Amino acid sequence: MANTETALKEALTTIEGATGVALVDYTSGMALGTMGGSKSFDLNVAAAGNTDVIRAKMRTMEMLGLKGEIEDVLITLTDQYHMVRLLKSRGGNGLFLYLVLDSSRANLAMARHQLKRIEEQLEV
Amino acid sequence: MTVTHIPPLPVRDKAAGRALSPMLTRLAEERATGVLVREHGVLHLAEGRVVHAESPCSPGLGVLLTAHGTLATAAWQQAAAHTTSPPRAAELLLESGLLPVGALELCHLDALYDAGYFALAPSSTPGRFRYDHTPRPGPLPSVPVVALERETLRRRLLLHRLWPDPAADSAPLIRADPPAPAPLTPRQRAVLDRVDGVRTATGIALDLGRQAFHTLVDVRRLAAAGRLAAAPGAVPDPVPPYPPPVADPDIALLKRLRDALEAL
Repeated sequence: MANTETALKEALTTIEGATGVALVDYTSGMALGTMGGSKSFDLNVAAAGNTDVIRAKMRTMEMLGLKGEIEDVLITLTDQYHMVRLLKSRGGNGLFLYLVLDSSRANLAMARHQLKRIEEQLEV
Repeated sequence: MTVTHIPPLPVRDKAAGRALSPMLTRLAEERATGVLVREHGVLHLAEGRVVHAESPCSPGLGVLLTAHGTLATAAWQQAAAHTTSPPRAAELLLESGLLPVGALELCHLDALYDAGYFALAPSSTPGRFRYDHTPRPGPLPSVPVVALERETLRRRLLLHRLWPDPAADSAPLIRADPPAPAPLTPRQRAVLDRVDGVRTATGIALDLGRQAFHTLVDVRRLAAAGRLAAAPGAVPDPVPPYPPPVADPDIALLKRLRDALEAL
Protein backbone atom coordinates (compact mmCIF):
# COMPACT_ATOMS: atom_id res chain seq x y z
CA MET A 1 0.00 0.00 0.00
CA ALA A 2 1.70 3.14 -1.14
CA ASN A 3 0.58 6.70 -1.44
CA THR A 4 1.63 8.76 -4.40
CA GLU A 5 4.49 10.53 -2.70
CA THR A 6 6.03 7.32 -1.35
CA ALA A 7 5.83 5.65 -4.74
CA LEU A 8 7.40 8.60 -6.55
CA LYS A 9 10.14 8.81 -3.94
CA GLU A 10 10.84 5.13 -4.34
CA ALA A 11 11.07 5.50 -8.11
CA LEU A 12 13.53 8.35 -7.77
CA THR A 13 15.72 6.70 -5.15
CA THR A 14 15.75 3.07 -6.28
CA ILE A 15 15.89 3.39 -10.05
CA GLU A 16 19.50 3.92 -11.11
CA GLY A 17 19.98 7.14 -13.07
CA ALA A 18 16.49 8.55 -12.36
CA THR A 19 16.50 12.35 -12.24
CA GLY A 20 12.76 13.05 -12.19
CA VAL A 21 9.43 11.31 -11.99
CA ALA A 22 5.82 12.44 -12.28
CA LEU A 23 2.34 10.93 -12.04
CA VAL A 24 0.22 12.58 -14.72
CA ASP A 25 -3.48 12.62 -15.61
CA TYR A 26 -3.46 12.52 -19.39
CA THR A 27 -6.83 14.07 -20.11
CA SER A 28 -6.08 17.30 -18.30
CA GLY A 29 -2.28 17.07 -18.55
CA MET A 30 -1.99 17.82 -14.86
CA ALA A 31 0.82 16.33 -12.81
CA LEU A 32 -0.80 14.88 -9.69
CA GLY A 33 2.60 14.49 -8.13
CA THR A 34 6.19 15.19 -9.13
CA MET A 35 9.58 14.47 -7.63
CA GLY A 36 13.05 15.44 -8.77
CA GLY A 37 13.46 17.59 -11.86
CA SER A 38 15.44 20.81 -11.72
CA LYS A 39 15.23 24.51 -12.46
CA SER A 40 16.02 23.83 -16.09
CA PHE A 41 13.74 20.79 -16.31
CA ASP A 42 10.19 21.62 -15.23
CA LEU A 43 8.37 18.32 -14.72
CA ASN A 44 4.96 20.03 -14.88
CA VAL A 45 5.71 21.29 -18.38
CA ALA A 46 7.06 17.89 -19.41
CA ALA A 47 3.94 16.22 -18.00
CA ALA A 48 1.53 18.39 -19.95
CA GLY A 49 3.56 18.04 -23.15
CA ASN A 50 3.82 14.27 -22.97
CA THR A 51 0.04 13.89 -22.81
CA ASP A 52 0.09 14.94 -26.48
CA VAL A 53 2.53 12.12 -27.24
CA ILE A 54 0.24 9.56 -25.64
CA ARG A 55 -2.85 10.99 -27.29
CA ALA A 56 -1.24 10.92 -30.72
CA LYS A 57 -0.22 7.29 -30.28
CA MET A 58 -3.68 6.33 -29.02
CA ARG A 59 -5.37 8.03 -31.96
CA THR A 60 -3.06 6.24 -34.38
CA MET A 61 -3.87 2.89 -32.80
CA GLU A 62 -7.56 3.72 -32.99
CA MET A 63 -7.24 4.55 -36.70
CA LEU A 64 -5.32 1.33 -37.34
CA GLY A 65 -7.95 -0.61 -35.46
CA LEU A 66 -5.40 -2.05 -33.05
CA LYS A 67 -7.05 -3.49 -29.97
CA GLY A 68 -4.01 -3.78 -27.73
CA GLU A 69 -3.27 -1.28 -25.01
CA ILE A 70 -0.13 0.80 -24.65
CA GLU A 71 2.00 -0.52 -21.80
CA ASP A 72 4.86 1.91 -22.03
CA VAL A 73 6.59 4.33 -24.36
CA LEU A 74 10.33 4.92 -24.50
CA ILE A 75 11.93 8.04 -25.92
CA THR A 76 15.70 8.12 -26.23
CA LEU A 77 17.52 11.46 -26.36
CA THR A 78 21.25 11.85 -26.78
CA ASP A 79 21.79 12.02 -23.03
CA GLN A 80 18.47 11.03 -21.48
CA TYR A 81 15.79 8.39 -21.57
CA HIS A 82 12.16 9.34 -21.05
CA MET A 83 9.88 6.50 -20.07
CA VAL A 84 6.10 6.71 -19.96
CA ARG A 85 4.09 3.93 -18.32
CA LEU A 86 0.30 3.97 -18.61
CA LEU A 87 -2.05 3.01 -15.82
CA LYS A 88 -5.69 3.32 -14.92
CA SER A 89 -6.93 5.08 -11.83
CA ARG A 90 -9.90 3.95 -9.78
CA GLY A 91 -11.36 7.38 -10.45
CA GLY A 92 -11.73 6.20 -14.06
CA ASN A 93 -9.02 8.46 -15.44
CA GLY A 94 -6.10 7.47 -17.57
CA LEU A 95 -2.84 8.20 -15.79
CA PHE A 96 0.79 7.72 -16.68
CA LEU A 97 4.03 7.55 -14.80
CA TYR A 98 6.70 9.65 -16.44
CA LEU A 99 10.31 8.85 -15.65
CA VAL A 100 13.40 10.79 -16.71
CA LEU A 101 16.70 8.92 -16.71
CA ASP A 102 20.29 9.98 -17.22
CA SER A 103 21.33 7.66 -20.04
CA SER A 104 24.96 7.43 -18.91
CA ARG A 105 23.92 5.91 -15.57
CA ALA A 106 20.68 4.12 -16.34
CA ASN A 107 20.05 0.47 -17.04
CA LEU A 108 17.10 0.56 -19.38
CA ALA A 109 15.80 -2.99 -18.92
CA MET A 110 16.16 -2.74 -15.17
CA ALA A 111 14.45 0.66 -15.04
CA ARG A 112 11.52 -0.63 -17.06
CA HIS A 113 11.15 -3.60 -14.74
CA GLN A 114 11.34 -1.42 -11.62
CA LEU A 115 8.83 1.08 -12.94
CA LYS A 116 6.40 -1.77 -13.56
CA ARG A 117 6.87 -2.94 -9.98
CA ILE A 118 6.25 0.56 -8.62
CA GLU A 119 3.09 0.76 -10.68
CA GLU A 120 1.86 -2.44 -9.06
CA GLN A 121 2.40 -1.02 -5.58
CA LEU A 122 0.73 2.25 -6.41
CA GLU A 123 -2.91 1.84 -5.46
CA VAL A 124 -4.41 4.58 -7.56
CA MET B 1 -26.25 76.08 -8.34
CA THR B 2 -23.09 74.56 -7.08
CA VAL B 3 -21.41 71.79 -8.85
CA THR B 4 -19.78 69.41 -6.45
CA HIS B 5 -16.75 67.65 -7.68
CA ILE B 6 -17.37 63.96 -7.41
CA PRO B 7 -14.18 61.95 -7.16
CA PRO B 8 -14.10 58.96 -9.48
CA LEU B 9 -14.95 55.65 -7.92
CA PRO B 10 -11.92 53.50 -7.25
CA VAL B 11 -11.55 50.83 -9.88
CA ARG B 12 -9.59 47.66 -9.63
CA ASP B 13 -6.36 47.76 -11.60
CA LYS B 14 -6.89 44.96 -14.11
CA ALA B 15 -3.28 44.98 -15.24
CA ALA B 16 -1.95 44.35 -11.76
CA GLY B 17 -0.96 40.70 -11.60
CA ARG B 18 -2.82 37.82 -13.12
CA ALA B 19 -4.42 36.61 -9.94
CA LEU B 20 -7.79 35.03 -10.64
CA SER B 21 -9.17 36.37 -7.42
CA PRO B 22 -7.29 39.14 -5.63
CA MET B 23 -9.30 38.29 -2.54
CA LEU B 24 -8.07 34.71 -2.62
CA THR B 25 -4.47 35.88 -3.01
CA ARG B 26 -4.86 38.10 0.04
CA LEU B 27 -6.44 35.27 2.03
CA ALA B 28 -3.53 32.99 1.14
CA GLU B 29 -1.05 35.66 2.25
CA GLU B 30 -2.72 36.10 5.62
CA ARG B 31 -2.97 32.29 5.98
CA ALA B 32 -6.71 32.55 6.52
CA THR B 33 -8.95 29.70 7.58
CA GLY B 34 -12.54 29.68 6.41
CA VAL B 35 -14.82 29.31 3.44
CA LEU B 36 -14.71 31.41 0.25
CA VAL B 37 -18.08 31.43 -1.51
CA ARG B 38 -17.97 32.48 -5.15
CA GLU B 39 -20.66 32.46 -7.80
CA HIS B 40 -19.80 29.05 -9.24
CA GLY B 41 -18.34 27.25 -6.27
CA VAL B 42 -16.84 27.22 -2.83
CA LEU B 43 -13.24 26.90 -1.65
CA HIS B 44 -12.41 25.74 1.86
CA LEU B 45 -9.15 27.20 3.15
CA ALA B 46 -7.10 26.06 6.11
CA GLU B 47 -4.14 28.27 7.00
CA GLY B 48 -4.19 29.77 3.53
CA ARG B 49 -4.16 26.44 1.67
CA VAL B 50 -7.06 24.92 -0.22
CA VAL B 51 -8.22 21.76 1.54
CA HIS B 52 -11.51 21.18 -0.27
CA ALA B 53 -13.57 22.65 -3.12
CA GLU B 54 -17.14 22.18 -4.23
CA SER B 55 -19.07 23.39 -7.23
CA PRO B 56 -22.56 22.69 -8.58
CA CYS B 57 -20.87 22.33 -12.00
CA SER B 58 -18.68 19.38 -11.05
CA PRO B 59 -19.30 15.96 -9.51
CA GLY B 60 -18.20 15.66 -5.91
CA LEU B 61 -15.73 13.30 -4.29
CA GLY B 62 -18.50 10.78 -3.54
CA VAL B 63 -19.45 10.48 -7.22
CA LEU B 64 -15.84 10.05 -8.35
CA LEU B 65 -15.21 7.40 -5.70
CA THR B 66 -18.35 5.35 -6.29
CA ALA B 67 -18.82 5.64 -10.09
CA HIS B 68 -16.06 3.20 -11.01
CA GLY B 69 -16.42 0.61 -8.32
CA THR B 70 -13.63 1.99 -6.10
CA LEU B 71 -16.11 2.13 -3.29
CA ALA B 72 -19.65 0.81 -2.79
CA THR B 73 -22.26 3.57 -2.90
CA ALA B 74 -23.73 2.32 0.37
CA ALA B 75 -20.36 2.65 2.12
CA TRP B 76 -20.03 6.24 0.94
CA GLN B 77 -23.57 7.14 1.97
CA GLN B 78 -23.03 5.65 5.39
CA ALA B 79 -19.79 7.57 5.90
CA ALA B 80 -21.34 10.79 4.60
CA ALA B 81 -24.27 10.43 6.99
CA HIS B 82 -21.91 10.22 9.95
CA THR B 83 -19.81 13.24 9.01
CA THR B 84 -20.24 16.87 8.11
CA SER B 85 -18.37 17.16 4.81
CA PRO B 86 -16.99 14.95 2.01
CA PRO B 87 -13.35 15.22 3.19
CA ARG B 88 -14.41 14.10 6.69
CA ALA B 89 -16.32 11.20 5.17
CA ALA B 90 -13.24 10.25 3.18
CA GLU B 91 -11.11 10.35 6.33
CA LEU B 92 -13.56 8.05 8.07
CA LEU B 93 -13.38 5.57 5.19
CA LEU B 94 -9.60 5.77 5.28
CA GLU B 95 -9.54 5.00 9.00
CA SER B 96 -11.86 2.06 8.53
CA GLY B 97 -9.56 0.69 5.83
CA LEU B 98 -12.24 0.66 3.13
CA LEU B 99 -10.17 2.79 0.77
CA PRO B 100 -6.52 2.60 -0.27
CA VAL B 101 -4.78 5.85 0.55
CA GLY B 102 -3.36 6.35 -2.97
CA ALA B 103 -6.76 6.07 -4.64
CA LEU B 104 -8.34 8.42 -2.15
CA GLU B 105 -5.59 11.01 -2.50
CA LEU B 106 -5.94 11.09 -6.25
CA CYS B 107 -9.76 11.24 -6.21
CA HIS B 108 -9.53 14.04 -3.66
CA LEU B 109 -7.09 16.02 -5.83
CA ASP B 110 -9.21 15.31 -8.94
CA ALA B 111 -12.32 16.65 -7.22
CA LEU B 112 -10.50 19.62 -5.71
CA TYR B 113 -8.93 20.87 -8.95
CA ASP B 114 -12.14 20.15 -10.85
CA ALA B 115 -14.40 22.15 -8.52
CA GLY B 116 -11.67 24.78 -8.13
CA TYR B 117 -11.66 25.35 -11.89
CA PHE B 118 -15.35 26.30 -11.78
CA ALA B 119 -15.15 28.14 -8.47
CA LEU B 120 -12.48 30.40 -9.96
CA ALA B 121 -14.37 30.98 -13.22
CA PRO B 122 -15.08 34.64 -14.00
CA SER B 123 -18.08 35.71 -11.96
CA SER B 124 -20.52 38.58 -12.01
CA THR B 125 -20.82 38.87 -8.25
CA PRO B 126 -18.09 39.45 -5.68
CA GLY B 127 -16.92 36.52 -3.59
CA ARG B 128 -17.58 36.37 0.13
CA PHE B 129 -15.30 34.95 2.75
CA ARG B 130 -16.39 33.61 6.08
CA TYR B 131 -13.70 33.13 8.72
CA ASP B 132 -14.42 29.79 10.25
CA HIS B 133 -12.34 27.22 12.03
CA THR B 134 -14.09 24.17 10.63
CA PRO B 135 -11.74 23.56 7.66
CA ARG B 136 -8.58 21.98 8.96
CA PRO B 137 -5.71 20.23 7.26
CA GLY B 138 -6.43 16.50 7.41
CA PRO B 139 -4.52 13.48 6.13
CA LEU B 140 -5.55 14.33 2.57
CA PRO B 141 -3.21 16.59 0.60
CA SER B 142 -3.96 20.32 0.57
CA VAL B 143 -3.04 22.58 -2.30
CA PRO B 144 -1.40 26.02 -2.23
CA VAL B 145 -3.60 28.77 -3.68
CA VAL B 146 -0.99 29.62 -6.32
CA ALA B 147 -0.94 26.02 -7.53
CA LEU B 148 -4.73 25.98 -7.93
CA GLU B 149 -4.68 29.33 -9.75
CA ARG B 150 -1.86 28.23 -12.04
CA GLU B 151 -3.61 24.97 -12.89
CA THR B 152 -6.93 26.75 -13.49
CA LEU B 153 -5.27 29.17 -15.91
CA ARG B 154 -3.53 26.29 -17.68
CA ARG B 155 -6.87 24.48 -18.02
CA ARG B 156 -8.57 27.56 -19.45
CA LEU B 157 -5.80 27.89 -22.00
CA LEU B 158 -5.99 24.19 -22.87
CA LEU B 159 -9.74 24.42 -23.59
CA HIS B 160 -9.21 27.57 -25.62
CA ARG B 161 -6.56 25.83 -27.72
CA LEU B 162 -8.82 22.83 -28.39
CA TRP B 163 -11.80 24.90 -29.54
CA PRO B 164 -12.10 28.60 -28.77
CA ASP B 165 -15.90 28.77 -28.51
CA PRO B 166 -17.13 28.19 -24.93
CA ALA B 167 -20.80 27.90 -26.01
CA ALA B 168 -20.88 24.12 -25.58
CA ASP B 169 -19.54 24.26 -22.01
CA SER B 170 -22.83 25.11 -20.34
CA ALA B 171 -25.63 24.67 -22.90
CA PRO B 172 -27.65 21.52 -23.65
CA LEU B 173 -25.83 19.62 -26.38
CA ILE B 174 -27.03 18.21 -29.68
CA ARG B 175 -25.31 15.88 -32.11
CA ALA B 176 -24.06 17.04 -35.48
CA ASP B 177 -23.21 14.96 -38.51
CA PRO B 178 -19.98 15.91 -40.23
CA PRO B 179 -19.48 14.57 -43.79
CA ALA B 180 -16.29 12.69 -42.97
CA PRO B 181 -16.24 11.93 -39.25
CA ALA B 182 -12.89 11.32 -37.62
CA PRO B 183 -12.57 8.20 -35.45
CA LEU B 184 -13.46 8.66 -31.81
CA THR B 185 -11.69 7.44 -28.72
CA PRO B 186 -13.73 5.24 -26.36
CA ARG B 187 -13.91 8.11 -23.87
CA GLN B 188 -15.27 10.48 -26.49
CA ARG B 189 -17.78 7.87 -27.68
CA ALA B 190 -19.12 7.56 -24.13
CA VAL B 191 -19.63 11.34 -24.03
CA LEU B 192 -21.24 11.48 -27.48
CA ASP B 193 -23.60 8.62 -26.61
CA ARG B 194 -25.06 10.76 -23.85
CA VAL B 195 -25.67 13.83 -26.00
CA ASP B 196 -29.47 14.01 -26.23
CA GLY B 197 -30.45 17.66 -26.63
CA VAL B 198 -31.14 17.98 -22.93
CA ARG B 199 -27.97 17.13 -21.04
CA THR B 200 -25.22 19.70 -20.58
CA ALA B 201 -21.54 18.84 -20.19
CA THR B 202 -22.00 18.87 -16.41
CA GLY B 203 -24.94 16.46 -16.71
CA ILE B 204 -22.85 14.10 -18.84
CA ALA B 205 -19.97 14.28 -16.35
CA LEU B 206 -22.32 13.35 -13.48
CA ASP B 207 -23.80 10.52 -15.50
CA LEU B 208 -20.37 9.10 -16.36
CA GLY B 209 -18.88 9.82 -12.94
CA ARG B 210 -16.05 11.73 -14.56
CA GLN B 211 -14.62 15.09 -13.72
CA ALA B 212 -16.49 17.97 -15.33
CA PHE B 213 -13.31 19.53 -16.72
CA HIS B 214 -12.32 16.25 -18.37
CA THR B 215 -15.76 16.13 -19.95
CA LEU B 216 -15.28 19.69 -21.20
CA VAL B 217 -12.05 18.57 -22.87
CA ASP B 218 -13.94 15.83 -24.71
CA VAL B 219 -16.85 18.17 -25.51
CA ARG B 220 -14.57 20.84 -26.98
CA ARG B 221 -12.69 18.21 -29.02
CA LEU B 222 -15.98 16.81 -30.30
CA ALA B 223 -17.17 20.34 -31.10
CA ALA B 224 -13.93 20.99 -32.99
CA ALA B 225 -14.46 17.75 -34.95
CA GLY B 226 -18.02 18.86 -35.81
CA ARG B 227 -19.64 15.98 -33.91
CA LEU B 228 -21.67 18.06 -31.47
CA ALA B 229 -22.84 21.61 -30.88
CA ALA B 230 -24.71 23.70 -28.37
CA ALA B 231 -28.44 23.38 -28.96
CA PRO B 232 -29.52 26.39 -31.07
CA GLY B 233 -31.57 28.99 -29.27
CA ALA B 234 -30.91 27.33 -25.97
CA VAL B 235 -30.25 29.82 -23.27
CA PRO B 236 -27.10 28.64 -21.55
CA ASP B 237 -28.16 26.84 -18.43
CA PRO B 238 -27.87 29.44 -15.71
CA VAL B 239 -25.64 27.94 -13.08
CA PRO B 240 -27.68 27.50 -9.93
CA PRO B 241 -26.45 30.07 -7.45
CA TYR B 242 -24.61 28.42 -4.65
CA PRO B 243 -26.65 28.69 -1.46
CA PRO B 244 -24.83 31.10 0.78
CA PRO B 245 -24.50 29.10 3.98
CA VAL B 246 -24.08 32.09 6.25
CA ALA B 247 -26.34 34.54 7.98
CA ASP B 248 -23.66 36.30 9.96
CA PRO B 249 -22.35 39.75 8.98
CA ASP B 250 -20.29 39.76 5.83
CA ILE B 251 -16.97 40.61 7.38
CA ALA B 252 -15.01 40.66 4.13
CA LEU B 253 -17.45 43.13 2.56
CA LEU B 254 -17.46 45.33 5.66
CA LYS B 255 -13.66 45.37 5.65
CA ARG B 256 -13.60 46.41 2.02
CA LEU B 257 -16.14 49.14 2.71
CA ARG B 258 -14.07 50.43 5.62
CA ASP B 259 -10.91 50.43 3.48
CA ALA B 260 -12.72 52.29 0.71
CA LEU B 261 -14.12 54.89 3.14
CA GLU B 262 -10.72 55.39 4.72
CA ALA B 263 -9.17 55.87 1.32
CA LEU B 264 -11.51 58.77 0.49
